[in-house]
This record gives sequence, structure tokens and C-alpha cells, in this order.
Amino acid sequence: MLQRAFPVVILLFWGAAQAQSPEALEWLRRIHAATQKLSYSGTFVYQQGGRTETSRITHYVDAAGDVEKLEVLDGAPREIIRTRNIVRCYLPDSRVVKVERREAERGFPALLPERVAALAQNYDIALGDSHRVAGFDCRAVLLKPKDNLRYGYRLYADKASGMLLKAVTFDAAGDVEQFMFTQLVLGKVTRDKVRSGYASGGWRIEDAAAAPASLAGWGLTAELPGFHKVVELKRRMGESRPVGQVVYSDGLAAVSVFIEPLEGRSTRTGLASMGAIHIYTREVANHMVTVVGEAPAVSVQRIADAVEYRRPQ
Amino acid sequence: MVEGKGTMNDRISELMDGELDDRQAARLIGTLGGEGEARDAWRMYHLIGDAMRDASMLSAGFAARVAEKVAQEPTVLAPKALQSERPRNWFAVPAAVAAGVAGVSVVGWLALAPQAQAPAPAPAVAQVQPAQPQTIPLPSATSDYLLAHQGFSPGSSLQGMSAYARTVSAEARGDRR
Repeated sequence: MLQRAFPVVILLFWGAAQAQSPEALEWLRRIHAATQKLSYSGTFVYQQGGRTETSRITHYVDAAGDVEKLEVLDGAPREIIRTRNIVRCYLPDSRVVKVERREAERGFPALLPERVAALAQNYDIALGDSHRVAGFDCRAVLLKPKDNLRYGYRLYADKASGMLLKAVTFDAAGDVEQFMFTQLVLGKVTRDKVRSGYASGGWRIEDAAAAPASLAGWGLTAELPGFHKVVELKRRMGESRPVGQVVYSDGLAAVSVFIEPLEGRSTRTGLASMGAIHIYTREVANHMVTVVGEAPAVSVQRIADAVEYRRPQ
Repeated sequence: MVEGKGTMNDRISELMDGELDDRQAARLIGTLGGEGEARDAWRMYHLIGDAMRDASMLSAGFAARVAEKVAQEPTVLAPKALQSERPRNWFAVPAAVAAGVAGVSVVGWLALAPQAQAPAPAPAVAQVQPAQPQTIPLPSATSDYLLAHQGFSPGSSLQGMSAYARTVSAEARGDRR
């Protein structure tokens, strides 16, 4: 039995390996390394549908670790600052700081270099053309999904440094959204450039206080092909709402299931979307279930429809 | 009600983002059917979008040629099915072209639907497709959900902070609600 299965297994692995080019995987690792290790600052555009938003992004790396800052340049000012294990979102209009902590890398579903090859289970990964973005000579890396449960990505990375200049999300019908630097300077960043511009003393702090926890009784009747549970936690959201969060991922995209008591409120079942983000809301066992992810509507809805509560025995 | 120019542009932007309900969308599409500033804004927004997406530009007179083809098509009335599908790929919807809407509005309307689920092409493996969901506005806590979610997305290891642009985009929309 085993002897007969063996050649089949070999063939399967061979088939999977053929679809990927080692150079393309190496490019993904280079992009990953550049994102973590380079200091840079630049102007950045997020575009989906007819909407564009401009931000300034600054990344500072020294021996102690890295700090990254995003400042919104359009409309009301806001800032997000991320250190190794804390994300702070400053909202000066409402004088609120939202704080997301995460256990230092423990259980964190980062895309680590050694996991890049595993992406081949769900994506065909290949090198694309050369392309100039914001004055940088870039190489395109294509991640083409093997089914309609995930988006495809075209990544454009600087040939010299590996820095990601542009990322386009697409599906069978075309491009869904994109992130692009319109101007970028590598290096020349000092520590003060990533400090908050706001003296936030007296602001309300909304700490998510997220901690790994088991959400007893909650689960999926069936997992979505290629997506596996990566983390399950309890947290707070907004001013005080206690919320359960379960994250499923295919190694690149992720979908979060948020579960919160209804407490007499009513929910509206349905799908909302924003670029590649889909949000499906429904009621399950007197709780509001909100499924959020950068995945096609069909994936988000299928996960939402699979959420069930079974009274723990 | 007289709408200011700024308001109108906002509405057009919302229409392109799929944020209007069916009735609001229908009314605005009616306005866009005529010539005027609104239609110029509509064209300009799409041109900007196309340029950002590196989409190839349509040749001059494309809309007129489509309108001409539409006039020659037999009329098939299937507006109900269209509303529920909100197709994105306008090559896939000859029925819409036949619905007798003015040519340019058709092109514009079919080209919008940015978040609708695409009906084509058929996947290689048979997939279970859930029933067509009802479209609802973004939840008021969208930016909170995204802030909570984004940190757990492995893709952000490649993208760095830029993935949070979605979070702040949702914040900006929250302001408008």
C-alpha cells in the first residue's frame, strides 16, 4: 500500500515544485528581509475603486529593533505607530489612543522566511516583468491563487534593495486595490522621525488587552480549504466591548472571526466591502458574529456561514 | 433638493465605491446619463482609477460604438437579475447591454461595482458557492475590526505598515457617516 502510494506522493511534490520558480521564492524572502531591516521614509497611496488615500510611512531600524509610523495626509489627521509588539493608533479629533499589544511573536502568524515555500500550496508563484515605480527599477513577483477563495497579488520590489514599492491585489475580474509608494527614500531616518507628533496626555486610552484564550463552544462546522486557525483570543474593542477573535489564514491572507454578545441589540445580516476587505455580519446563538478579512466575498461568507456554537459538555 | 458640486462629487465617489443603496445609485446614475459636470467628474474619476491601475485606455469613440451596438441588440428585460448580481466584468453581461440603458451609463455602471463578487470565470474545481448575500453598509466599528485584524495578517510581514492604510481609510469613512 505504502509502496504504491509513494510514487504518487513524489509526483504530487514534484508537481507542486514545478509550478514555483526558486527565484520567485527568493524574491519573496528578499522583500520580507527588506521590509524588516531597511530604514526608509516615503509617500504612499492606497487606492481602491475611485478612492485614493495618501499617507507618509517612516520605518526606523536600529539594534534595539524597529519602529514604524504611518501618518495620514488626507482629511482628518491620524497616526499609527508600531513597535515590535505594540500598535498605537492616535486619533487627535476624538483625543483617543487605541492600543493593540501582541505577545512578542509567540503564536503570531507572521510570514517567516522559512514559511514562504509553503505558500505554494495555495498560490502559483512566479517572476514577472521589470517595471519602474517611483523611480525605482522593480521586479514583479506574481502570486496567482489556485482557487477563487483567495486573491492574487502582484508585488513590485526594488531590484537593488528588495524593498516593496507597489502591491496590487487582483481577482479573476481584475485589480481590486493597490498600495504604492509614489516617493521613497531609503535610509536617512532618525529616531525622532517615528515618534508621535501628538502629546497624548489626557487622551482616552482604549487598550485592546488581547490575550490568547479558548472561546469555549465556538468553532467552524468546516474550515475553508487552505485556511487554518492560527490564533484564538479574547480582547476589548472600542471603549469596552469584550470580543472573542479567531484568526484563520492560508499563510498570506487572513480572516478574523469576531464574536460579541448581542445584549439586546439587533444585527443586520449581510456583506459589506472595502477594496479587498470583506465583512460579513450575522447572528449566531444570541451573539453578533463579524467576519473580516482581505479575502474574496465568497471566502468571508463561507467562514461566516460555518460559524457555530455548541454548548460545551 | 439642490446638491452642491462638492456633495455631488462625494456621491459619485460613493457610487464608485459601491456605498450607495440601490435607489440612491439609480437616481445618481440617472443624473450621470445626461451631459454636465457630474458626468465629467464621473469620467475623470474613472480615468484616474484606470491610470492608477495601469489599465489600458479605451479608444476614442468607444462609448458611441457601444451605444450603436446596443441599439442594434434585441431587447431582453432582465433588470432584477442584474441588480442582485452586480457584475464587475462587463464582457460577461450581454443582458445588461440589451437592457436598453443609454450606452455610456451602461459602460460606466458595469465598470463600477468594485467589490461585487465576480461571476466569471468558472473555477477549475467545483466550489460550493453560498447564496448571494445582501449588501449592507460597512459596520460603524469597521476601523476597530481592521485595527484588530491587520496585525494578525501574515501578508503584513511583506507589506509592513502599509496594510494599516486600510484601517485609516475605514476611519476616514467613519467620519463621513
